[in-house]
Amino acid sequence: MKNPVLRSVDVTNFRSVRGHVHAPLDAQVVLVHGENGAGKTSLLAAIELALTGAVASLRRADPTYAPQLLHRSAVSGEVVATVGADEDGDRRHHATLTAEGIVAGSALPRELAAFFGERSYLPQSLLNQLLQIYQESSSGADSPLARFVGELLGIDRFDAIETGLAPLQDVRNLRKVVDRWQVVELERDRADRLAQDERNTLAGIDEGIDTAKAILGRALAVLELAIKTDEAPDAIDAALAGLQQEDGLERLTDRRRQLGSIRRELADAPAAAAGPIRDAADAIAAYSRWESANGQALEAVRRRVAELLPDSAMPPEIPRFADEAARALASLNTRSSAAAAHARQDAARLAEAEAELDAEKVRLKSIEDEIALLPSRAAGLASALADISAYIESETCPVCERDYGEVGRGPLAGHVHDRVRTLSTSADRLLALGRTRGDASAATSRLAGETDLLRARAVKAEELATLDRQAVDSQSLLAELAAMAPELAEGGRLRAAEIAARRADGDRARREASLVASRQTVAAFAAAAGLTTDEELEPIQAIDRIEKALAGEAERLERRLSARRQAHDALTAIRAGVRRRDEIVAVAAGQEAIANRARDALRRAEALRTQGRALRDTVDRVRSAIIRREFNERLNRLWRDLFVRLAPGEPFVPAFRIPTTVTRGLQPKLVTAHREGGYAGGTPGAMLSAGNLNTAALTLFIALHLSVPRKLPWLILDDPVQSMDDVHIAQFAALLRTLSKEHGRQVVVAVHDRQLFDYLRLELSPAFPGDSLITLELTRGPRLDTRCLHRRLSFQEEMLLAAA
Amino acid sequence: MTGTPLVDQIRRRLVEAGYRDLRTPLRVAGVDFEFTAAMQGSQGRGLDLVVLIDTTTGAHGDREGDRIRQRIEGLSRALDVTGSRLVVTAILAGAAPAGNVDALSEICRVLRVEPFEHGRDASGTTAPEQIADRIRILLPLSIPDADSAGDAGSALEQLRRALPKGGDARVVDAVLEASREGAAAVTTAVAGVLDGELDRASDANLAPGDGE
Repeated sequence: MKNPVLRSVDVTNFRSVRGHVHAPLDAQVVLVHGENGAGKTSLLAAIELALTGAVASLRRADPTYAPQLLHRSAVSGEVVATVGADEDGDRRHHATLTAEGIVAGSALPRELAAFFGERSYLPQSLLNQLLQIYQESSSGADSPLARFVGELLGIDRFDAIETGLAPLQDVRNLRKVVDRWQVVELERDRADRLAQDERNTLAGIDEGIDTAKAILGRALAVLELAIKTDEAPDAIDAALAGLQQEDGLERLTDRRRQLGSIRRELADAPAAAAGPIRDAADAIAAYSRWESANGQALEAVRRRVAELLPDSAMPPEIPRFADEAARALASLNTRSSAAAAHARQDAARLAEAEAELDAEKVRLKSIEDEIALLPSRAAGLASALADISAYIESETCPVCERDYGEVGRGPLAGHVHDRVRTLSTSADRLLALGRTRGDASAATSRLAGETDLLRARAVKAEELATLDRQAVDSQSLLAELAAMAPELAEGGRLRAAEIAARRADGDRARREASLVASRQTVAAFAAAAGLTTDEELEPIQAIDRIEKALAGEAERLERRLSARRQAHDALTAIRAGVRRRDEIVAVAAGQEAIANRARDALRRAEALRTQGRALRDTVDRVRSAIIRREFNERLNRLWRDLFVRLAPGEPFVPAFRIPTTVTRGLQPKLVTAHREGGYAGGTPGAMLSAGNLNTAALTLFIALHLSVPRKLPWLILDDPVQSMDDVHIAQFAALLRTLSKEHGRQVVVAVHDRQLFDYLRLELSPAFPGDSLITLELTRGPRLDTRCLHRRLSFQEEMLLAAA
Repeated sequence: MTGTPLVDQIRRRLVEAGYRDLRTPLRVAGVDFEFTAAMQGSQGRGLDLVVLIDTTTGAHGDREGDRIRQRIEGLSRALDVTGSRLVVTAILAGAAPAGNVDALSEICRVLRVEPFEHGRDASGTTAPEQIADRIRILLPLSIPDADSAGDAGSALEQLRRALPKGGDARVVDAVLEASREGAAAVTTAVAGVLDGELDRASDANLAPGDGE
């Protein structure tokens, strides 16, 4: 599209435009005037909507703005912008509006639409944003300048990408946003660990199997089986089953036990075999001799002892009889002697006691007689008299009131005192007599008891004689026994020897029978053990040889049995080990497969992450490149030129500076430079007046428009002069003229100030043939419909100074 | 033409820019207006009438603001009377004149070129650029050539071109699509792609024959 021209715009029920408005735009300059609210901004926004399909400034403020675009009184609306170009006819770009929003449209190609939004159309919101940039001097990623630059260059989405991809940098942040990342990592680690655990277990099991195989190998060698330990356990089992059973061990053990007892028997036999056979006859004969010599004497003694001690049975053995008889006789002798002596003593005492009793009886009689003579109540009377004596004051008796003086035996008091004394002495005597009478009475009754006892105990004379005889008899018998003691001792010894000799004889006969049996057994065992019995051989030696043979055989059997048991155990262990091994190998393989899958997934995800990071780096690089390209010295020069045009008296000019040290998140920085060169430092907001800030914002936009190849040679400015003073307005008008007349920009300017409108109309009047100016005046009709009055001004030859 | 070096410099600069001298005194609607110099632009600037006022020498009472204003007011009125569309620009060259000059800016565009202390060379001339800055609005605007890189397409297209080739398009597509909605959406999008890839693995875990 070459030299495109905005031909016209048709607006129906769009925002504050009510009804239909047609506005021709096909002139170098279009001036739009209207009071606030008349629809200037709506008219310009309609151009944007038709060309780009959106109203960017509204969208930034509210992404759901579309339904609000339709005029509130209408049900449908439309905006149409007609664009002409050199090589082909007019193109119609439009957008249809309903209460729901924008429903259809045919906008410019995307690239041109972007250019229009970024560099051709300066809505008030963008201008305000530019002003804000100067007022806020921060240079961070969120600063107004950063936002503006981002939106202007279309790199605001870069920021979103960069910030959004930031969690990819650090895997810790990544785990937070990618839910499954950590899950898969854990899955991998867990499976790895489990697999490793299983492999460790496996090593132990392999070791166990090897050990079992070594044991099996040794056992097979013992059993003399020519089968390898690596053969299948079932095959080895079968080979073991084929071996004959070793069941003779029990019989062998039994035999060895028998041999052992025979050996002990044989060992005992020689000691008892010799000697007593000869002694036995001697002992019997000796005893017979003793019997015949002493038998009768002994028998007599026995008889007498039996007579004396009819109640006690004497033992028949001679030594014991001698002992017991002696002891019993001694006892009898002591008892009889003592009883006799006691009886005689009792008889003597009885005589004495009877005499004493008689004496005591006499004494008691005399005491009683004396007591009978004494007044029995002497003590009581003495006491009463003593009491009465206290009442005796004269010779008159206080009891009978008779005058004692009449008696003439001294004073009454003295008489009473004597009486009391006499009475007291009688009392003392009575007391002493009472005590003596008690003693005498006690002695009398004791002696009476004693005499009674002694009388009862008194032994008869015949009995006493018997006791005396017993004592004498036992004494003499004892003496006899003592005399016989050596013979009796010899007899006892001989008797014992005789008995022992008889017993030994019997024992020997029994042992000899047993030895014969043992020899037969040994011979049988030797035959069984395959040993030739040598007649010369002593049984003990034969037993030794047999035992040795049997022990060897037993040992062999034991070894084989043990080997067989070991082989079975080892086989069992090998089978279990192999089974467990297979299980673990399967489990480990499963875990490894899981781990590998997780690893694989993480690897693929990591590749994606790498791409994300590469994307982020590229974003940064491209953004830096774009910023460096856009915010270059050329832009600064252009901006300076434009700014100086509008503010010729301002010594400072705004400029962009690109930091050279920043490596990431590159942002241009706003600075002020001295017009004559050199940076003044400080941000424009701090250095420039409000009017000049507006100028700076406006010129920046125009500079940005001019600094790139002109895809759309249009400049659409919505009320760009807010606070510029008159001087600036005059310069601004001249600048618009320069852009329009010298640089072929189609300029559309909306102003609300009538004076400014008139001034601009004059300043922007067509200056040469073909130059043109359209003025649009927006007003409200009688029914509040929006009306647009348009005038077209064309070139008129200025004759005034032609002559000059 | 005779004048101070400053006025001469301004004149020369304007002539370079396509302005031509007008005869002075300037005669409009039969009235003569005395100015140190008067110039008119050409082509797009054909309606620019520039009058130069030398406040240094002060001829024609140019040292007094009020008298300058009266004269320019007269000129303006004369132009109005004749229905002219000419736009007057007054250049005050030299020291600031006495009196109220600010009022002048209500009548016409006023540019002031003061003698410069700095940059003065041996001949007493001021730096041409400093003078040009003062009357910049009257001079043509030269736009430096844009480099071709400026035509590199939209930022996202440049980004796509800059990306390494042959990668998995899923991440790039998801991220670029989500970038419209902001950073959080980008994070969610890329996390979704990664999660999807990891999920693919865990789906495989649940494949038949793997039932532990």
